[in-house]
Formats: sequence, structure tokens, C-alpha cells
Amino acid sequence: MGNPLTMKLGHGSKLTSDDRQRLDALIETSSRIEAYQDLIREHDPPGHVRLILEGFVCRYKILENGRRSIIAYLVPGDICDLHVAILRRMDHAMCTLTPCKVVFISPETIEDLTTNYPRIARALWWATLVDAATLREWLVNLGQRPSDQRLGHLFCELLMRLQTVELADENSYHLPLTQEALADTLGISTVHVNRVLQQLREDGLVVFRDHRLIIPNVKQLKEFAGFDGNYLHLDGG
Amino acid sequence: MRYYFDIDSGRRATRDQIGSEFARPEDVRAAAIRVLPDIARDEWPDGDCRVMIVKVRDHKGSYVFQASLSLVSNWLDAVGEDDLL
Repeated sequence: MGNPLTMKLGHGSKLTSDDRQRLDALIETSSRIEAYQDLIREHDPPGHVRLILEGFVCRYKILENGRRSIIAYLVPGDICDLHVAILRRMDHAMCTLTPCKVVFISPETIEDLTTNYPRIARALWWATLVDAATLREWLVNLGQRPSDQRLGHLFCELLMRLQTVELADENSYHLPLTQEALADTLGISTVHVNRVLQQLREDGLVVFRDHRLIIPNVKQLKEFAGFDGNYLHLDGG
Repeated sequence: MRYYFDIDSGRRATRDQIGSEFARPEDVRAAAIRVLPDIARDEWPDGDCRVMIVKVRDHKGSYVFQASLSLVSNWLDAVGEDDLL
């Protein structure tokens, strides 16, 4: 399997073979982490930067009433909060949703990458901007779209992001998310998620087979959900 | 225990084939009631008269709980009717 970080950052900058070697060295040492483990909790000092090599991770916050709100997904190749070491305390938590492989990168290594590898530095800035753009898109999605379009939009986004790291083919991918996770992401109840999934299935927009999401007509689902992948900036900066 | 939520919004009826787990009957009741305004927000954009019903089945297939939400709207005088033209 290739290096998902290189696959992703290749969209943000023209990497040389030196750059690629450096990024390969970066992922030599990784940790295996079980599903449903916190990678970091709210109020913790951030310490290392985390890079996901395998599995799904989410950013989340717990509300006063105990409900969880998922505010982002991290998939292989995603690196979180490049300059988080500047902040003293985390304002949200991160946990694994599946078994994961994670690289913990020291602030010194980030310093080395950004100082001595200008194309990697540019690609990391690109990735940071894409993270912010994705959050903007989620804000629009949650604030303005009905639930069926919201869920369709999320499925389209994950298709494009997973294709970037070769974890999706042209119209399908392994989707390890539970109904609870989807509910906490879309801000609706699990019962409502159930109903919306059923609607999308009945309308032939999605098919589920062995935990794999199949989108029979990608163009149709994108139109239904009002999805325009421009905010992922896969055409580079 | 697993429960199944069959919902008819007046625009669309779905029969739950997946179900959701609940530890206590009270949680089933809360979930059935909570889903009604969620769906109303999605599916009732045009003011009209509608009734939405959620019926909850247990794992044996018996209906054990039901909740409904109504939307009733009408103009209060004849002037309003003319304004609709």
C-alpha cells in the first residue's frame, strides 16, 4: 500500500522524489489503536500532531446534556492541526471510530518539514486551508439542507476524499460508520437517520452491501445533495 | 432491546427495517417523540394541514407505542383569502 499522506499532499503541491522520501520516512513508525479510543480529550495539552494512516477518526465535542456532536472526520492521509502545538489546550476531542494506524509527529519534525521542505510546507498549508473549507461546507450543510440531502452530501464528500487516497473506487467505498455516528454528525436522532437511509435506498441513490456504500449514479446523488467538490481543492492551490 | 419505527409523514411512509437499540421503554418514547419535529422540519416546508404518525414495533413485531404531530393552519378572515389571489 502507498503512502496516503503523499497521495493527499500531491494534490496541494508538486512534490519531488526527495519530498516523497521524507514523507515515507515520516510514516515508518506508527501506532495501532483500537476503535472507540480517545486520541486526545478536550482541555488536554495538544503535544504531537496526529497523522491517520488507516481507519476513521472523528473530532467531537460533548454537550452539557451528554449528547455528542461530531464536527469532522479524519480519514487516511489526513493530518490534524498542523500548528496545534501553538495552542495550550485542546478545544475539542478526537477519537477513533474504527481500528486505526496513527503516526504521532513531534512539533520539531513539523518545524523541520516546514523549514527545509518548501513544497511539503506549501502542501501542508493547502491541507490546512482545505480543512477550514470543509468545515465551512459542513456549516452550510447542517444549517440549510434537509437531512436526506445532508447525508447525501456527506456520502459524496467521503467518496471524493477516499478516492484521493485510493480507498474508494469510482462509485463505492467501505463505510465503517454506525447510525449513532451519522446521527451525531448530522445533528439528528438515530431513528431519523434510519428513515433517511431507507429513503435514499428506496430512491436508488445508495446501496449498502457488506458495510460497503455503493452509489449507483454518482452524478445523480451529487445533484440531489447539491454537492460541488470545489471546496476540497483537489486541483491544487 | 431492538425497536422499529414506522413513520408516515403525510408525504412519505417508511417501514423501519434496521431498528435501533434502547435500554429502557422511556428511551423508546423519547426517541419516537423527538423524531417528529426533526422530520417536520425536513418534510413540511409548505404550510398546510398535515398529520405525522410514528408507530413503534418491538422485536416480536407488536406495536407498542405511537405518537403523532399535527399541523393545522388556516386564514382567520375572508380578507386573507383574497390576499391569496
